[in-house]
Amino acid sequence: MINGSSSEKSTVRLKGVREGLWVTLDPNQPVDILKADLTKLFAQAKHLTHNAHVILDTGIFDAPKSLTDELTRFLKDKFHVESVSPPKQETTERQPQTLQKYDMDHSWRRQASDALIIAGRVRSGQKIQARKHLIVLGDVNPGAEIIACGDIIVLGSLFGTALAGQSDQEDAIILALRFRPIQIQIGGIVAAGLPESGSKTAEYAHVENNAIIVEDYLTSNPFNRFTWPEIR
Amino acid sequence: MAGNTLTQSRCSLEGKVIVITSGKGGVGKTTTTASIGAALALEGKQVAVVDMDIGLRNLDVVMGLENRIVFNVIDAIKGKCKIRQAAIKDRRIENLYLFPASQSDNKDVVKPDEMVRFCKMLRKEFDYILLDCPAGIERGFENSIAPADEAVVVCTPDISSIRDADRVIGLLYAKSITPKLILNRIVPDMVARGDMLSHQDVVDILSIELIGLVRMDDQVVVATNTGLPLVLQKDSTAGEAFRRIAQRLNGQKDIPIQIPQSTKSIWKTIGQKLGLGK
Ligand SMILES: Nc1ncnc2c1ncn2[C@@H]1O[C@H](COP(=O)(O)OP(=O)(O)OP(=O)(O)O)[C@@H](O)[C@H]1O
Ligand SMILES: [Mg+2]
Repeated sequence: MINGSSSEKSTVRLKGVREGLWVTLDPNQPVDILKADLTKLFAQAKHLTHNAHVILDTGIFDAPKSLTDELTRFLKDKFHVESVSPPKQETTERQPQTLQKYDMDHSWRRQASDALIIAGRVRSGQKIQARKHLIVLGDVNPGAEIIACGDIIVLGSLFGTALAGQSDQEDAIILALRFRPIQIQIGGIVAAGLPESGSKTAEYAHVENNAIIVEDYLTSNPFNRFTWPEIR
Repeated sequence: MAGNTLTQSRCSLEGKVIVITSGKGGVGKTTTTASIGAALALEGKQVAVVDMDIGLRNLDVVMGLENRIVFNVIDAIKGKCKIRQAAIKDRRIENLYLFPASQSDNKDVVKPDEMVRFCKMLRKEFDYILLDCPAGIERGFENSIAPADEAVVVCTPDISSIRDADRVIGLLYAKSITPKLILNRIVPDMVARGDMLSHQDVVDILSIELIGLVRMDDQVVVATNTGLPLVLQKDSTAGEAFRRIAQRLNGQKDIPIQIPQSTKSIWKTIGQKLGLGK
């Protein structure tokens, strides 16, 4: 989750979800403050906002239609989002999906891509944020930062900083063919300065008992235990 | 462009602007600018070197020209003098001119588009215009890369220099400038012992075209103190490396890059030579 500057409290929160960008805001705040906070967050997540579907969540309060209309117009004009809609009631319970998951022939059909796939070297000072999963075909240099709400997969060397499962998904993984990050985070757990393992094969990090563990991917592949292929 | 290629190559070819940059301070930008500038001039080119480190001028000292400064680059940009008046001719090398920085001004006195206009005029007079960029990535850097056609990134084999070079490389690519790499201050014995990153380690991370490897060389300091250009010194390994870099920049692509060798470890030397052929 991306919050506004950490020092002052933002009236708006932004989180990447399967459907798009989930914006939570307090409709009782003055509209100018809401707009300013939205601008701050959306500007930070620039590459995600274009043509995005925005879900406008006003929490326990009901927002007047005039406010949602105004914010919708604002987001469309200023950040070129595709649509703005209220949250659907059933999104919290996903009964039908669980059933669908085991229907091997059909479960993937309606799945639009949740992964941001980028090719190239991510250099020092560059920062890439993915709404859900992030796949980098290339190296991530020291001083570069890659952030995802879901998993991070680097098909190359990971030397920089990687934050997966932001902000609270501790089931996320970080995988790299060469795993030498300066720092990683999964959910809220931080691991810094991991010692050189000297491993020549792909390694991945995951959370076990509130700690980040790094293991050889091929020998301890955690997903082999799944009974069915699942959508991440 | 259609037309007579011969006249084109003679008259209408404008000079090339090359920025020498690094991000980190003290890695050898000024040394590189002075040396490559001198070497290109020795190749017969018309060369201008411009000290962009406004407020902290250095290049004049390294070139031994500090006592000739009357006008500086800011005066020329702001129209306080003619461009010719600000150009200081080198004492020894024909065709080499220095535009010194101003020592009193602040980097903000120039804007990137003013630099572009200034360099446009220099291009008509010179074959090569080398800009000695200040450390950092602020206004002085922006001013220096705005007019640049090419960039040379100077880096030393240490982690923080590499980190900053990498940042600068990203910023250069963002401006559609393809940077080339010089690795400076290499100590072959330390590399052989594993106490210094090898040039291969650095190239692996930065992954841009390498155009030269320059040793740590006492002659660099001697050159600065005596004002005798490094590239004119007979026994300077660094001077020799810079001469070859200048030739490479000048289009002689087939000049091989020499890997500084440790004097002690003969086996390493042979190993690296074998490795090169791969
Ligand atoms: N190959 C070398 N061997 C030995 N000394 C060197 C070498 N290259 C540079 N130096 C020394 O390192 C110091 C810094 O070099 P230089 O002034 O060229 O760096 P710079 O990048 O221009 O610094 P700044 O960022 O301050 O402008 C100088 O004292 C110079 O003599
Ligand atoms: Mg300098």
